[in-house]
Amino acid sequence: MDPLTWTGSVGIVLNPIFFVVVGLFAVMLVIQFVLSFTAPPPSITVNPDGSAMSSGGTIDLVGRINSYLFLGLLGILATYMFSGIFTPYGTGGIIGEIGVRLLPVWIALIITFALSMAFKRKLGLYGKLFDSVVGMIGFAIVMFWVFVAIFVAFDLVITHDPLSQVSGMKNKVPGTPLRGAEDGEYAHYLLGGDNLARDVFSRVMQGSQIVLIIAPAATLFAFMVGIVLGLPAGFYGGMFDTVLSFIANLVLAFPVILLFFLLVTPEIRAAGIDFGFYMWRVPTILASILFIFPLIFLVLLWNSRYFTQPSKNMLFIGLTVVIGGYLYLALAWDADPFGLISIDQNVLIVFVAVVFVNSPTVFRIVRGLVLDIKTRDYVAAGQTRGEGAWYIMLWEILPNARGPLIVDFCLRIGYTTILLGTLGFFGLGLESESPDWGTTINAGRRLLGIYPHPAIAPALSLMTLVLGLNLLADGLREESLKD
Amino acid sequence: MADTDTYDGPILEIDKLSISFFTRLREIPAVMDFSCTVRPGEAMGLVGESGCGKSTVALGVMQDLGVNGRIVGGSIKFKGRDLSQMSQEELRDIRGSEIAMIYQEPMASLNPAMRIGKQLMEVPMIHFGTSEKEAYERALEVVTDVKLPDPKRILNSFPHQLSGGQQQRIVIAMALMSKPSLLILDEPTTALDVTVEAAVVELVKDLGKKYGTSMLFISHNLGLVLETCDRICVMYSGETVETGRISDVFDKMQHPYTQALFRSIPLPGADKNSRPLVAIPGNFPLPHERPNGCNFGPRCDYFEAGRCDQGVIPMADVARGDRHETRCLRYAEIDWGAPIDVGKQTEKPEPGDVVLKMDNLKKYYEVAASALFGGANKKVVKANETLSFEARESETLAIVGESGCGKSTFAKVLMGLETATDGKILLHNSEIQDVPIESRDTKTIANVQMVFQNPFDTLNPSMTVGRQIIRALEIFGVGETENDRENRMLELLDLVKLPREFAGRMPRQLSGGQKQRVGIARAFAGDAKIVVADEPVSALDVSVQAAVTDLLMEIQRKNKTTLLFISHDLSIVRYLSDRVMVMYLGHVVELGSTDQVFQPPYHPYTEALLSAVPIADTSIEKEHIVLEGDIPSAMNPPSGCPFQTRCRWKDQVPGGLCEKEVPAVRHMADGHQVKCHLSDDIFAKMTPVIKIAAE
Ligand SMILES: Nc1ncnc2c1ncn2[C@@H]1O[C@H](COP(=O)(O)OP(=O)(O)OP(=O)(O)O)[C@@H](O)[C@H]1O
Ligand code: SF4
Ligand code: SF4
Ligand SMILES: [Mg+2]
Repeated sequence: MDPLTWTGSVGIVLNPIFFVVVGLFAVMLVIQFVLSFTAPPPSITVNPDGSAMSSGGTIDLVGRINSYLFLGLLGILATYMFSGIFTPYGTGGIIGEIGVRLLPVWIALIITFALSMAFKRKLGLYGKLFDSVVGMIGFAIVMFWVFVAIFVAFDLVITHDPLSQVSGMKNKVPGTPLRGAEDGEYAHYLLGGDNLARDVFSRVMQGSQIVLIIAPAATLFAFMVGIVLGLPAGFYGGMFDTVLSFIANLVLAFPVILLFFLLVTPEIRAAGIDFGFYMWRVPTILASILFIFPLIFLVLLWNSRYFTQPSKNMLFIGLTVVIGGYLYLALAWDADPFGLISIDQNVLIVFVAVVFVNSPTVFRIVRGLVLDIKTRDYVAAGQTRGEGAWYIMLWEILPNARGPLIVDFCLRIGYTTILLGTLGFFGLGLESESPDWGTTINAGRRLLGIYPHPAIAPALSLMTLVLGLNLLADGLREESLKD
Repeated sequence: MADTDTYDGPILEIDKLSISFFTRLREIPAVMDFSCTVRPGEAMGLVGESGCGKSTVALGVMQDLGVNGRIVGGSIKFKGRDLSQMSQEELRDIRGSEIAMIYQEPMASLNPAMRIGKQLMEVPMIHFGTSEKEAYERALEVVTDVKLPDPKRILNSFPHQLSGGQQQRIVIAMALMSKPSLLILDEPTTALDVTVEAAVVELVKDLGKKYGTSMLFISHNLGLVLETCDRICVMYSGETVETGRISDVFDKMQHPYTQALFRSIPLPGADKNSRPLVAIPGNFPLPHERPNGCNFGPRCDYFEAGRCDQGVIPMADVARGDRHETRCLRYAEIDWGAPIDVGKQTEKPEPGDVVLKMDNLKKYYEVAASALFGGANKKVVKANETLSFEARESETLAIVGESGCGKSTFAKVLMGLETATDGKILLHNSEIQDVPIESRDTKTIANVQMVFQNPFDTLNPSMTVGRQIIRALEIFGVGETENDRENRMLELLDLVKLPREFAGRMPRQLSGGQKQRVGIARAFAGDAKIVVADEPVSALDVSVQAAVTDLLMEIQRKNKTTLLFISHDLSIVRYLSDRVMVMYLGHVVELGSTDQVFQPPYHPYTEALLSAVPIADTSIEKEHIVLEGDIPSAMNPPSGCPFQTRCRWKDQVPGGLCEKEVPAVRHMADGHQVKCHLSDDIFAKMTPVIKIAAE
């Protein structure tokens, strides 16, 4: 097998065109930038038939050319990506072959977008997202990684086992063929091999799974904590609020990295409260406190709403306590009575730490929103009909605070992703062979000068995901403010 | 500017103006074919319901329609020059110096971080390059002109140190700094209390005369327009439907909408039993759902199929009258003098037993005097001071007063959201003043319910209408099964005359009036015996107000409910209440039957309040009583009589008693009580404030 070039056979034709377009685009951008200072603003004229016309002269023209160039650029990139699907294996280049591996992801994305666009007027805020270009781009990037993570679980996308090493592939550049590949084995390391001769492409793809599970889950837990504490703090105010706000500020004032270092040092992890028969260690202490909040949240949620219908109430609360309690025992205390679920202590400590540093910010956001919404008449109406405080907080106030909370949720997943990456990079938390992006970047760091590809691939992935989440948040914020 | 100084044609000529907003869904034609002319020194009133395009016209004149608004037809000429032909610079110049605009919310026009004086002086300094000293003199002059006390001190203060009424005066002063030829006022007094509103309106009128300024006065209140303007322009759904001199339009109206509007507002003479208001059926059409032909067609009594629903209906000149025009095809055929088709008359229900009794109720709040270091320095705010009254079954008791008089506190104590400081509340003979809502039993809670003021705030925006009513039923323990409650919910929708499909709708899909109906349905979910209605219609459009008021009273008759109707609008109070309680700074200053309160002898505050309420009837003559100053803050009430700082009768009481002692409650006639030191013979000499002029 021959090594793969980046762009394969289509590249022979397309590459020159590509560089010309890139050059033109760059020049035109500069022109547009300069013109925006000098040219007169576009004038708008109204025609007698009632329509309005905007004419802007040169600046308008330049703007239009630029958008065509940009579209052209995107077209060429897409051609690189998708040409591999139609050409035989080995001729599509690295980009083309990656495009082929990602085929299920493309299909899933197209279906998602087609369905969402078709029904966007019926889908509330989610549907409105498709009116904002920024939001759509963000959503596409995020969904790309979500689908990658899903399909990796079905053994699709990835080409090799992310953990197994293949002799002779150590630090090989992207597109290197596998020496003595057997039948049925994928014949190339698409993005090369790392210093332990593992396939970088497969590791990056697999790594998305870890990021996309831990980051949203940790953010969700942080939200549970922030909501359960922030609602009453804002609603009641007074001492409770003062004390909690003070603690929140304290946590926020503490340097995050230092906190993490403390949490993962073996001494601190081994420390705890000794009950004689049981050693309550720091990770478990934290986990047992933080993980109880989702349970409290759900029980309060059901009870406040259904206390007038005892049978329904019992059912919901019963289910929550049984299922939630089981998970709680298994995850926080590592004491699954059936021995089915257990969480790696390294992952647990990272998880707990991330939840811990995120919840004070969520707390403050929720508290602020409650202070605003609690003055509304529908809250007063709830009170005058004798609703309990938790009903008002969870069912009258919280749903109406959802806009800003959803936006913050997206941003916070991005922030958590970076945090996880940073932790991995410092070698804190996950095991060193874990394919998550932070750890991989760290592993690739040492040889960065000579073999940059093992670090660049996960770094780009991390960047795109966070960018996608931020764009998504921007789009959501913009759209939720309209109308 | 020399050419405009000598100009003597109309100040503002708007010709066939059409304005649209472009949203991502559609074009919204907000204003269509709007024409009007304002001559020098003339005041033009622009009235119409919310969303009919009044503000859009004003913004069009200011050439300030935002990013998505466009003038799509017609022209606006200011002093003979087409505004759309002007350059940005010229426009900016005209906007600051020749056309001034005053908005509803005074703080929107003031810079909170700059002293008043500086803000005022900036105007002539920027536009005319006046020297600082001259600008200061001018500022002092206008502040004196807008009748603010101690002008020097005011010039030196920041906006937040002034009350709402004073802020609005400053905004007016600012507009006058450059001696504009056109003043646009967009609901300038909606955010103010009635007595303050009356003073500001008086001011605007006087200043208009003094400076010879033309005015475009936007309001939804016909009474206000009657008091301030020479001509009026009635708008409906983006179009002018009738325009002319005030006297022509008010007394010889030529458009069915104008007529319907006048029939739906409570003018003196209307009575809930013998002459009920006539609500305009249906709803205001949304800009993109306007019918063919006449926009008012679907709601018009004189609608003629085949004629009114076809083509474009032009403005027609009414022969009699001065520039009186109407947009109705049938105006010449309609018999405008025909007597009102009196709606269904009802028997006045006899009030039953006493259901609610307040006895010397007091509610004091303790507040920290300084926000930062609360601690020792506590101040007491007396929100309710010795409130005593009784309310009977099927009775409507109106509670009247301006902001800060303690209406809402009283409602909170009654509902159990706060407990009383002293005194008693007896509900069916059980004392509830010390029982907070958490400890009240379901029956008590369901019995006392509330309808809120702001329709846009009264329903939870993220829950369907049906769900919200069902929730109230659940809480009140109505119905055994979910099916029962579902049915009951549908019945409640029937009760408030909403279609049953509305159960599945979200609140944002409902109009203001419809939301208010849902609020009423929710309040009656547990068959409430006492309903506190806190300004339930004040935020609604006039044409919808009548329908909602009607509905409330119909349910009241059916359920024998006691209605506590909180309002500052004396017209509607006179129309629907049996007894009236007037409050001022936590005190009940007058209490009596509606007739007793609306006729002399009055408490001096009641008298001023009556005079302040604008009435849209040209045959009414009102005595003008303008109260000086603002309502004192409840944190710092005056000594003696609470009203003494603004009372015009004070010097009739010998020995400065008013400043020393809080007057005792005086029983005048059967059930009529007044809290005032005035002697009986002075009370006997009082004359009615509102007189119907002899025809
Ligand atoms: N920026 C905007 N974008 C889209 N539609 C708008 C915009 N501003 C106003 N409209 C629409 O234009 C119509 C006229 O609005 P306008 O504010 O002029 O009414 P109004 O008569 O001043 O009402 P109000 O009495 O409530 O002040 C309404 O249907 C409104 O929804
Ligand atoms: S044109 Fe017809 S529908 Fe319109 S107001 Fe006149 S009579 Fe009524
Ligand atoms: S007591 Fe004196 S100040 Fe008070 S209302 Fe009567 S006359 Fe006026
Ligand atoms: Mg307006």
